[in-house]
Amino acid sequence: MSAALLSLLVPLFTALLLLLLRLRAGGLVIAANALSLGLAVMALSTVVSTGTQQLNLGGWDAPLGIRFELGPLTASLLVFTALVHLLVAVYAERSRHSQTRDTDFWPLSCLLHTSLAALWLSRDLFNWYVTLELLGLVAVAMVILSGPKAHAPALRYLLLSLAASLCYLLGVALIYGQYGVLDIRLLADMVTDDRVTRLALLLLTLGLMLKAALWPLHQWLPAAHASAPTAVSALLSALVVKGPLFILWMLWDNLAPVELARQAGVFFAVAGIAALISGGWAALRTPWIKVLVAYSTVAQLGYALLALGLLLHWQDPTLSTALWLFVIAHGLAKVSMFLAAGEMQATLGSRKVSALKGASQTMPIAMFAFAVAGGSLVGLPPSGGFVAKWVLLQPLFSQPSHWPWALGVLLGTLASAAYVFRVVAIAFDRADPNRPDYDPDTSAQWLAMLPALVVWAMALMSEPVIRWFGEAGL
Amino acid sequence: MTHVSLYLLGGIALWVLGLHALMLQRSALRRIMAVNVMGSGVFMVMVALASRGADIDPVLQALVVTGLVVAASATAFALRLATADAGDNADTKQPADQERR
Repeated sequence: MSAALLSLLVPLFTALLLLLLRLRAGGLVIAANALSLGLAVMALSTVVSTGTQQLNLGGWDAPLGIRFELGPLTASLLVFTALVHLLVAVYAERSRHSQTRDTDFWPLSCLLHTSLAALWLSRDLFNWYVTLELLGLVAVAMVILSGPKAHAPALRYLLLSLAASLCYLLGVALIYGQYGVLDIRLLADMVTDDRVTRLALLLLTLGLMLKAALWPLHQWLPAAHASAPTAVSALLSALVVKGPLFILWMLWDNLAPVELARQAGVFFAVAGIAALISGGWAALRTPWIKVLVAYSTVAQLGYALLALGLLLHWQDPTLSTALWLFVIAHGLAKVSMFLAAGEMQATLGSRKVSALKGASQTMPIAMFAFAVAGGSLVGLPPSGGFVAKWVLLQPLFSQPSHWPWALGVLLGTLASAAYVFRVVAIAFDRADPNRPDYDPDTSAQWLAMLPALVVWAMALMSEPVIRWFGEAGL
Repeated sequence: MTHVSLYLLGGIALWVLGLHALMLQRSALRRIMAVNVMGSGVFMVMVALASRGADIDPVLQALVVTGLVVAASATAFALRLATADAGDNADTKQPADQERR
């Protein structure tokens, strides 16, 4: 547990140090991220050997105090968060086009890391509200780093995020009014199926779906994610939307009465398929590179929502593993995709997808990174995306009555393949390639490639992870 | 008990009013105020729930104080962002915005 806490405290103190000393040193943040990653790996190895650990902050017990819990999933997510931060920070420091050198990006990214780590560790409804607010405020502050033109989408993002938090908070107030506790484990034992609980769950769910940009509450995401600087877009898509998803999963998996969960599961699953189709369609139609990648996030969140819905509908815990494998595989692939897209649009001097004409010749490494990451999003074997889809499909194929849901997965796969191949096809049109404005930066392109290689490597070590998640529970 | 339910209903009415205004208003200042009205509604519900029994529940009041801190800082941030935005209306070349229109 102490290693996990240190993995949270290292970025917090780095952020405070940078703010107090008015430093904007990227090297220091990279070192802090590497240290935090090492500590998170240590925390993961202690969970593997000794199992789930608890910590009551300040020695106060659960009804009044705040409880942190370090289980298999939390430990894996801590490692994932630190790894994504490290990969993005190295790119942000190295690339000429990252728009983040010597800016407030560095303390803010550390604060983002801290809020996420606190969110993964918390097991308390109100503490989650605080971490959600921190996450939202830091995310908006990071969007405006790209200058005045991002102010309008950032303000819209901020107001939506505040409204969503207040929706969530009203739900928390109702739950507390009904049961008098906020700890999720205590609530799980007490919860009954009555009107107030249903209303509270509805409010909590609406707030969290808005924050996680889950269909049909996703409209704010493409503008906010596409207008941010490239490194920030990568962090927002890979990590920030996953925080509310974690709380949503925790709530429905632990708190919801079984009968209600079965009904709501159908709604979540249908919304997931709708997200896959509408997000994929919008990504296929948009003329802008980064908006395409942002819509692909909307679509990919559909897989997570589908897994959540079917998990609730069939009460099948193996689908939790599928959900979180999707989240981790999507996070890594999306970092690679955003970094490659940002590097290409800055070097080729246009935000349009059509500017990528001939990019396979002018910027082969970045284009390869985009295609490799896209392969994982589509679910080509042996990538992380393929493994997640495989775990999702197994219970779908086990009974003939489940087969129609597999059709939704198939449609989603076709939609992702369509928008990835749309970009690849333009990039391989070498007849009259679009000349770059600057010399392509080889090492920055390799840094964009790195997360995509990690996601393909994920497939190699996924078997023990799946077995461990299945045995130890999440 | 009746005055508690009065405050509860009042709080929920404020919350709905704020949400309604947030969805309909276009001006940044009004939308920020709408979010604040929503916040006041939630806090009123929480304070009303805290004073239901004979003893006042300190946990809910502590939550309201924390919530107020968050709301005040978020409002300050939103106001700064809205005023910064007013000065830069000339720059509207936002790709996602153009697509939206």
